Amino acid sequence: MSFVLSLLIFIPLLGAPLAYFATRMNRRNGIYFSLGLSTLVLLTAAYVLWGVYSSPPPQGQYLFQERSAWINFRFLGLDYYLGADGLSSPLLFVSALLTVLAIFGSRKLIDTHEPEYYALIFLFEGAIMGVFTSLNLILFYIFWEVVLIPMFFFIGVWGGPRRKYASLKFIIFTYAGSTIMLLGFLYVYLGMQTPSFDIPDLAGNVPVSLQYLPLLASFIGFAVKLPLVPFHTWLPDAHVEAPSPISVLLAGVLLKMGGYGFLRISIGLFPLASAQFAWLFMAAGLFSMFYGAAAAVLQKDLKKMIAFTSINHMGFVLFGAYATLVSGSLLGIQGAIFQMFAHALAVGSLFMLSGYIHHQAGTREIPLLKGLGTSMPRTAAILVLASAAAMGLPPFASFLAEFMVIAAGISAYSVTAVSILVPVITAGYFLWMIRRAVLSQPEGSAEVHDMGWSDAASFAVYLVPLVVLIVASYVVLTPALPVAEFLKRIAIG
Amino acid sequence: MIDFLTLAIGTLAGCSLLLPLLQLVKGRDWNLSGYILAAVLASAMVMVAVFTLSPSDLPWFGSLLRGDALGGVFALVTLGVTLMVTLASLETQKGEGNPVYYSLLSFTALGMLLLSYSQDLLMLFVAWELMSLPTYVLAGFDKKLRSNEAAVKYAVIGAMSSAIILYAISLAYGLTGSTQISAVVQGFSRLLAAQSDATALASVAILLFVAGFGFKMSIVPFHMWIPDAYEGAPTTVSTLLAAATKKAGFIAGIRVLLAITTAYVVTQNPAFTMANVFAVLALVTMTVGNVSALTQKSMTRLLAYSSIAQAGYILIGFVAFSADPQSASASIGMTGSVFHVINHALMKGAAFLAAGLVIMQLRRADLGAFDGLGRRMPITAFTLTVALLALAGVPPLSGFWSKLLLFLSVSNAQFGWLALAAILNSAFSLGYYAWIIKRMYIDEADAPGRVKEPLWFVVVFAVAVGLIIGIGLFPQQAINLSSAAAAGILG
Repeated sequence: MSFVLSLLIFIPLLGAPLAYFATRMNRRNGIYFSLGLSTLVLLTAAYVLWGVYSSPPPQGQYLFQERSAWINFRFLGLDYYLGADGLSSPLLFVSALLTVLAIFGSRKLIDTHEPEYYALIFLFEGAIMGVFTSLNLILFYIFWEVVLIPMFFFIGVWGGPRRKYASLKFIIFTYAGSTIMLLGFLYVYLGMQTPSFDIPDLAGNVPVSLQYLPLLASFIGFAVKLPLVPFHTWLPDAHVEAPSPISVLLAGVLLKMGGYGFLRISIGLFPLASAQFAWLFMAAGLFSMFYGAAAAVLQKDLKKMIAFTSINHMGFVLFGAYATLVSGSLLGIQGAIFQMFAHALAVGSLFMLSGYIHHQAGTREIPLLKGLGTSMPRTAAILVLASAAAMGLPPFASFLAEFMVIAAGISAYSVTAVSILVPVITAGYFLWMIRRAVLSQPEGSAEVHDMGWSDAASFAVYLVPLVVLIVASYVVLTPALPVAEFLKRIAIG
Repeated sequence: MIDFLTLAIGTLAGCSLLLPLLQLVKGRDWNLSGYILAAVLASAMVMVAVFTLSPSDLPWFGSLLRGDALGGVFALVTLGVTLMVTLASLETQKGEGNPVYYSLLSFTALGMLLLSYSQDLLMLFVAWELMSLPTYVLAGFDKKLRSNEAAVKYAVIGAMSSAIILYAISLAYGLTGSTQISAVVQGFSRLLAAQSDATALASVAILLFVAGFGFKMSIVPFHMWIPDAYEGAPTTVSTLLAAATKKAGFIAGIRVLLAITTAYVVTQNPAFTMANVFAVLALVTMTVGNVSALTQKSMTRLLAYSSIAQAGYILIGFVAFSADPQSASASIGMTGSVFHVINHALMKGAAFLAAGLVIMQLRRADLGAFDGLGRRMPITAFTLTVALLALAGVPPLSGFWSKLLLFLSVSNAQFGWLALAAILNSAFSLGYYAWIIKRMYIDEADAPGRVKEPLWFVVVFAVAVGLIIGIGLFPQQAINLSSAAAAGILG
């Protein structure tokens, strides 16, 4: 019996009140405390990632399992049941990493209600760790819902001018989606011969007639989170209004819940129905990719542009995951997992940058940002690098991820080769943005401060792993292989 | 040897009768009577709890009362809410504290205690009146026009519902020759089995019971008085009405309605399925409650409508039970109903008291009073947030588990639509709950500055929040308790 995953959940949850009181007593110490605590979680997550990499669990099995009875009543049996595999461990790691970076970035960008802010960050982190490690559907649902509460306050309290509207829209959209998902879980549970909420029990054992409705219900829950066009409308509002460190968590971590849900639950529990409608999911993913890219071209607000980039990139996850169910090419699911990892870092860095740029230059409007190259050289250099990462240029790992997904797509349906256009459009709008904001002549004589060296250095934490990972991609891809094989086996044999 | 339940009844009765005598003592601090009542209620709760752990016969009451776990749970819930209300009243009645006020509270508690254990329709009716009559006075206790209007409306509707119940009882007695609930059930079964002409009258009796109890349970379409009464009455009294006397309506409903329902299921009377009646009532009640709550401008009215919606959820267990009393779904559904009664008492009690404190301290009841409350009254705002999220059924708070059991009990082919409607209602309700939370933490207050939060309120809030979160994290014990209580009706 291991307790590492419980540590991942409960260090942040129990740390939340401590962070509140520490920051309340002394702002500086509170931030140091929060950084220390989140680093501790990061080290634990790194240990899990390493553990899963060094001995990947065989198909359909999990490492670091923990199980204890929680609720037992009539035929309702719920266990506190955790485990990690090649799908969850990269997400655990990247979530912990982005939390550290978000806290680091918050020290300059957040200056109101700080005690509550840091406490909520830890509540968020603990709940996210719970989502990615739960092997019981009800436990999963509980953590899933807990994530909403801190995010509601982040957007509502620390957000921009339309924060009130955005926060309510966010919580109502996502809560409605997830309650429908819960109904799907109950449906499966009651339909099974031996009712169980445990993911390992259900995976590959749900009768096909029982798969269609829950697939639809879970689709609604996850499509809102991913988000998939047309369920995406909360996202640009939420992102534009959220403070930048929170946008990092929103794009880097929260959206991954959708991708994780599609892989673990939609495909993992309802594989036969998924395989039947795989073309539909691929089409939805493809549409999201194009829609996100096309909408991003039109945005004037830098942050909104990045938000639409997220929709575009998360479309790859769905597209790749379901491509495997059509062609059997494992590249699709592996690429989807890799894409989630790469997207978290690339888009995380861009959101954080947009926060700095807004903070220093006073605007995020791309046409108004002129001559960043001369006025804020460090910021501009990082912006160019982060854009390259988001475009999927080598040597950033996002290149490899998108390549794998597109290859799997083509092996499924050759017509999906058009998806190659998505990175082209993405490169187009990023380069256009760089031309307008970075390479143009500076205007006016307004004094603009560049970001400090310590902040600039923090971006290395986002971008260096992306470069390292293109060489060391096996860290993510090796443990992802049994996951992909398992999903393929239960879906199409 | 006298048993603990009789002792608890005697203590409460003595307290009710003796408290007004304190009025005769001149120049005393009248809050004393409040402290006395709080102590009496707390000890009565202990006695009831001890009794519930090891039930025994009640020789003093013959066949009028029976000490079972179902009665124990309802007695504890209603006494607990009365205790919360008494403690809060120590602050709201400060200075003008009145022994009569506490005596009336005590009478209500006694009525609810007797009602919880009633096995006989006449006993039930007496307890019902003992509970209701003091609340008519309490609702008008503020001596303001608004409060008096609420009291009169409440009293008229209350008298009407009593009359309906009495009429139903007389029909039942006429048909079966007994007022003992178990004998009435047997009599009904015989009537139905014999296909006699009297079955139509029996159905009328049942529907009259539904209407009579429905007024207290706040079931649509018998709910019209609720928002006005809750808004006009002093908020502590509204808390009592929403969180305690309403539960008494449910225990009466369970003891009488569901017992008689079994007669219908056993004889498989095709013309009249109570499950369908309950299902429609549940659907209409929760939907009307939630939709109306969304448009309210005053907090007490909003909570009143939310309370109506919650009654709809509790009814879901009735549906599962009356569809097939022997099934596992019935057991899960009734457990969910009892569990939700416990949770609702906690959540709604905390929410009403928090709202009451805000109204008392800021002297306004519109939703604007809640703007920026997170800074002005942090403990109250936090309590209200937890209570509202629990009411919406957000995990891991206590309300989630009871709703889960209720939804599970009807997730089948026959009533799956009800489960879907209930879950959508639940999602919809977060819209107005989140709206209040948004006001408290996101909107700015028009008059900043801390507002005092009196000690007794803070104590009550701490206990309620602790229980809501505690039951949410470790629901097993509460589920066991509810299940033991539900076993009483499942037979």
